[in-house]
Amino acid sequence: MSTTTVTAELSARRTRVPRRPRLVSAEFLKLRRRRGLVGAGLALTVLPMVVAYTILLIIHAANPAKHGPAGGLQNFTDSMDVLTTLSGIAAVLIGTTLGASDLSSGVFRELVVTGRSRLALFGARLPAGLAFLWAFVGAGFAATATASVAFAGSLHAPGAALLVETAAWLALVTALSLVLALGVSSVLGSRGTTIGIVIGWQIVAAPLLLQIKTLGSLREGLLGAAIEGVEPGALFTGPAHVAMSITAAVGVIVAWTVVPLAVGAWRTATRDA
Amino acid sequence: MSTQGFVVETSGLTKSFGDRMAVANVDLQVPRGAAFGYLGPNGAGKTTLIRMLLGLTQATAGTMRLLGRPVPEERAAALARVGAIVEEPRFHAHLTGRENLTIVAAAREREAHGRIDGALARVGLSQRADERVKRYSLGMRQRLGVARSLLADPELLILDEPTNGLDPAGIHEFRDMIRGFVTEGRTVLLSSHLLDEVEKICDEVAIVDQGKVVAHGPIAELAAGAKQTILIATSDDEQALGIFSEHRAVASVAAESAGIRVTLGEDVGQAADDLSRRLVHAGLAIRRFEPARVSLEQRFLEITSRLEEAA
Repeated sequence: MSTTTVTAELSARRTRVPRRPRLVSAEFLKLRRRRGLVGAGLALTVLPMVVAYTILLIIHAANPAKHGPAGGLQNFTDSMDVLTTLSGIAAVLIGTTLGASDLSSGVFRELVVTGRSRLALFGARLPAGLAFLWAFVGAGFAATATASVAFAGSLHAPGAALLVETAAWLALVTALSLVLALGVSSVLGSRGTTIGIVIGWQIVAAPLLLQIKTLGSLREGLLGAAIEGVEPGALFTGPAHVAMSITAAVGVIVAWTVVPLAVGAWRTATRDA
Repeated sequence: MSTQGFVVETSGLTKSFGDRMAVANVDLQVPRGAAFGYLGPNGAGKTTLIRMLLGLTQATAGTMRLLGRPVPEERAAALARVGAIVEEPRFHAHLTGRENLTIVAAAREREAHGRIDGALARVGLSQRADERVKRYSLGMRQRLGVARSLLADPELLILDEPTNGLDPAGIHEFRDMIRGFVTEGRTVLLSSHLLDEVEKICDEVAIVDQGKVVAHGPIAELAAGAKQTILIATSDDEQALGIFSEHRAVASVAAESAGIRVTLGEDVGQAADDLSRRLVHAGLAIRRFEPARVSLEQRFLEITSRLEEAA
């Protein structure tokens, strides 16, 4: 093979490598250089799982008769409850940073004067935010899955299918939290206010509304109800708050994805910079 | 001059906030290749006009063209060759200077990334480029703002009060930088409330007050439109004062340490001749007889005081 051929092949191979759009890379850079956010991401995802399984390992080693193995299906589902809640908070922190940091720092104005479409500026935030968020959530999940299988001992360990299904579900739940936080913060332009509103809604208001039976089928519009509808069966042990079909659940999830993004994009496109 | 000769053209440009008109029916033409001053007191509507040109806020009425392109219709293409600093340049404080430029370069054409090092060198920030911006002084942030605006390889630089907060050395450096841009063939639109700054940097100026452009043209021409003032010194200034006070063409007369400052109200050429003749006729020796240099500041004050009187 001649040198020319090799060079041409290398060049063609390089061009085939998918390149991350520059705006997405820029958004990712803004996130990964925030030490506090990186610390919060770790503290809400990887760290609790590592700590929890370390404690389970220690107490099992200290008294195997009283405390079962650290791994197994039950510990996995319990850990997933915690990881889902904490990852949702991490998603809100990241989503609000994505939506409000350019505005609060004044850099949004500097980006607008480049002439770049405001919708393109907004559109780059979501993939960057998901990449950043899922790096932490993925690590937290990997730690949980590994520990629940490796330390299952005599217990029944979660199977590959359940692990894959749970990973996908966790990715969906955290993405929805991020989308909601991104949309609201893009409208309000304030990170602190958005964190309060979104976390208050997700942790207090929405679960309360879900419990109020007199609301009847109105509760089908709540994201929590729809998420229950697509949750892996092995994780979801209690009775459903609202009985709804998969199609309806998917419809509600799509609505909770599209509406915050649409409103956030609209506000980004129309606000004075 | 053809339309291609103007980098900024506005017609009837208006911006209202409720009942208040921040920019009122402004017709403005900024010629290519010059340093153009947009001069007015604080609150005159300078920044609002710039914000409309850059698409940061919508105009209430009127039309605009940037680099010959209508905006907002062709805003993206027009702004691709425009660099701007609006008010104080803003950055992500947790990122380095270079990273801040990387972020803006990502929003511009692909070649912009390759201009980062050159732009940092141009403003003297190469050595500090990898420090976080939160450690930068105000002057360094201003220079980083200029570097950011150079990423566009701009035909037009719009600088809104760029020397705010700079020390005298920084202001001097900034003036030289702006004149350097003009020498390279770029156009600089400089908004300022500092008369001295505009006079030292700019070739042309538009004076704006209460949202309206009240004067517009080359600085020399604008200054020439002011009332003519002559500085006169004679062998007997007291006697000369009496002569000037009685002359009907003299609008005002004031004794100063170096002589007498005589401001003429009309028919300047003939009045000056007549004054010199009268001094000679009175037997006075004329030691000084020269037109006083009229500054932009004097012209500005004349225009704005006339507006106040009219109001």
